[in-house]
Amino acid sequence: MTDALIPALMPTENIFPIFVEAMFTKNFLLVMFLGLCSYVGLTTNSDTSKGMSMAVTFVMTMSAILTWPIYYYLLSDASFLGNDLTFLKTICFILVIAAFVQLVEFIIRKFSPPLYRSLGIYLPLISTNCAVLGVVLLNIQEGYTYGASILYAFGAGLGYSWVMLATAAVREKLIMRDVQLFSGFIGAFFAAMMAALIVASYFAVVKL
Amino acid sequence: MTLMLPAVAVLGALGLAMAAMLVWASKVFYVPTDPIVDALIELMPGANCGACGYPGCADAAEHIVAGDVTPDVCTSCDAETFELIGELLGMEISAAEPTYPITLCQGGTNCKDRYDYIGADTCRAAILLAGTKKACSYGCIGLGDCVRACMFDAIEIADNGLPKIKKYNCKGCGACVRECPQQVLTIAKEHGPVYVVCSSHDKGKYVKEICEFGCIGCGICKKNCPEGAIKLVKAVAVIDQEKCTQCGTCIGVCPRNAIVKL
Amino acid sequence: MANKSFVGEIIRGIIKDNPVFVLVLGLCPTLAVSTSFANALGMALAFTFVMLGSNIFVSLLRKQIPADVRIPIFILIICTFVTMIDMMLEAFLPPMYDALGIFVPLIVVNCIVIGRAEAYANRNPVLPSIADGIGISIGFAAALMLIGSIREILGTGGLKLVMLNVVDGVPGFYPLSAIPGLSFIPEVIKFPIEPAVVMITPPGAFLTIATLMLLFKIMGDRKRVKQLIKEGYEL
Repeated sequence: MTDALIPALMPTENIFPIFVEAMFTKNFLLVMFLGLCSYVGLTTNSDTSKGMSMAVTFVMTMSAILTWPIYYYLLSDASFLGNDLTFLKTICFILVIAAFVQLVEFIIRKFSPPLYRSLGIYLPLISTNCAVLGVVLLNIQEGYTYGASILYAFGAGLGYSWVMLATAAVREKLIMRDVQLFSGFIGAFFAAMMAALIVASYFAVVKL
Repeated sequence: MTLMLPAVAVLGALGLAMAAMLVWASKVFYVPTDPIVDALIELMPGANCGACGYPGCADAAEHIVAGDVTPDVCTSCDAETFELIGELLGMEISAAEPTYPITLCQGGTNCKDRYDYIGADTCRAAILLAGTKKACSYGCIGLGDCVRACMFDAIEIADNGLPKIKKYNCKGCGACVRECPQQVLTIAKEHGPVYVVCSSHDKGKYVKEICEFGCIGCGICKKNCPEGAIKLVKAVAVIDQEKCTQCGTCIGVCPRNAIVKL
Repeated sequence: MANKSFVGEIIRGIIKDNPVFVLVLGLCPTLAVSTSFANALGMALAFTFVMLGSNIFVSLLRKQIPADVRIPIFILIICTFVTMIDMMLEAFLPPMYDALGIFVPLIVVNCIVIGRAEAYANRNPVLPSIADGIGISIGFAAALMLIGSIREILGTGGLKLVMLNVVDGVPGFYPLSAIPGLSFIPEVIKFPIEPAVVMITPPGAFLTIATLMLLFKIMGDRKRVKQLIKEGYEL
């Protein structure tokens, strides 16, 4: 683990597979099942999906940048304290993510009120988004170097974004055509079935 | 036990650092807000339905505290919420009388189609060609743009092709009224007012051919109204709600059953 | 609030406020770990521990927690219990720990736990909060085990009913036949159907939950319509 402690911004291993994995074969929404609450709730409107995707990608990347050094320099047994405090990782990561999101909310509220009004309500939602905490924990689990974790987080954010935007594009159109079978809930059912079929055909292409 | 001290130290230090950073940030990036407005926003339903005429609950709260409007402009609040708002602002409030949208059209399946329409399932698309898909260019198309505009699931297209309001869900916000491309929806009090339920400016002879209940502009209602509250605007009768005493005389004399008392 | 009974609150958490089918919260672990009945049960037990711990402590401290920083404080309290159950699982039930993976630490951001802490435990005394915690946990467990069983039956053709047990001093999830008195239950209940492996994969999860949500929505709608007709609304 010693070379992992060197915060190499250019990672030593081949990072392209990691990036592609994060975006496609290990896509956070369709394969890893992280971030589903926001997916199901926000994809009926393409504007909110756009806002949420940008915010999530930003928060994921910044969280990876902030949490990797904390884990390796503060909590692991190679830290200057010399104790293995890795059991504190969950609470430390969530502390950092929540504080960072709150900081971003302050900044956006001060400098761009229109941006705050359009996506300000999603920022507190992101700090409890499983996808963000999931990225950070997976970075540690897979033992990536600093550069690789940042790229993984960015790839995960992009993967989340493309699925959100693609689904929003389809669901917005679906709302126009109500399938008049039962009492109107059928629309949402077909949206869920559509998600299932996307994932199924996805697997046929990606061949897991 | 040996781990307890370092663990507490690390977590405590991290927590303090984050807290200090946030305190600093909240001072540096401070945006002044009125605490009363914040408290009022907490109490309001937060549906951002637009019934009050302002773009959102936050905006409405600011105007209410500034004194531009009274709180009963919010039709989504129930009596309990009004009590709490009244306590907060120090005033007596009672809920306004409930209002619901009505359709000024009795066409739907009673009105002939101009052509077989195959296209996007929205009213806005169906009015683009040859003067709307229904033979009456001014009436309700019935493809449900109003249904989709409603965020409370309070309106649906009934079997007769006209919008039907589910009063237990309707908040009187007026989103459907704004959305209707034919502008045949309007907000009215639940009981009492008398309306001519036709918007057709077509000549009477034509209306007779295409619609069972359309107003033909004969003017009998206008002649019989004791208050003179009815006038004819381009071949359709319109009742002036300010002058109308809701006596109902016009309802009896209309040969087409085009006038209705709610 | 004082008139609600303890049992009534529990039942409300199971049916009227079922976290998965009614509140539609906590979808991530539901879809990810319901690949089999055993995994679903493991997740349900871990969730119950965290839910009860968090509800009790948030309720005990509700008068002391300042309103503007309440969400971070809830997360801190929940995180304590999550770290505890994470370490307990890793120590005592390693196979289940491997099966659940990162979804155990992710209970800390599970919308259900934070949501109930904010909406209920923060405003009610300890005993009703315990009832709410039990109810929501049973509701979540029921939903999870239902989906898990369906996916396991359709995906592998057999159902392995397990329970937390200690056999020869080793704790683990053993089949029900290990419990004295229930040894007549076979280890794997076989169903005479052709297994469809797609049910174990992610698309199968979406399919199952979509179908179940539709069924529950239809049943709920029928009930609501009957209720409205009773109250005299014309429909």
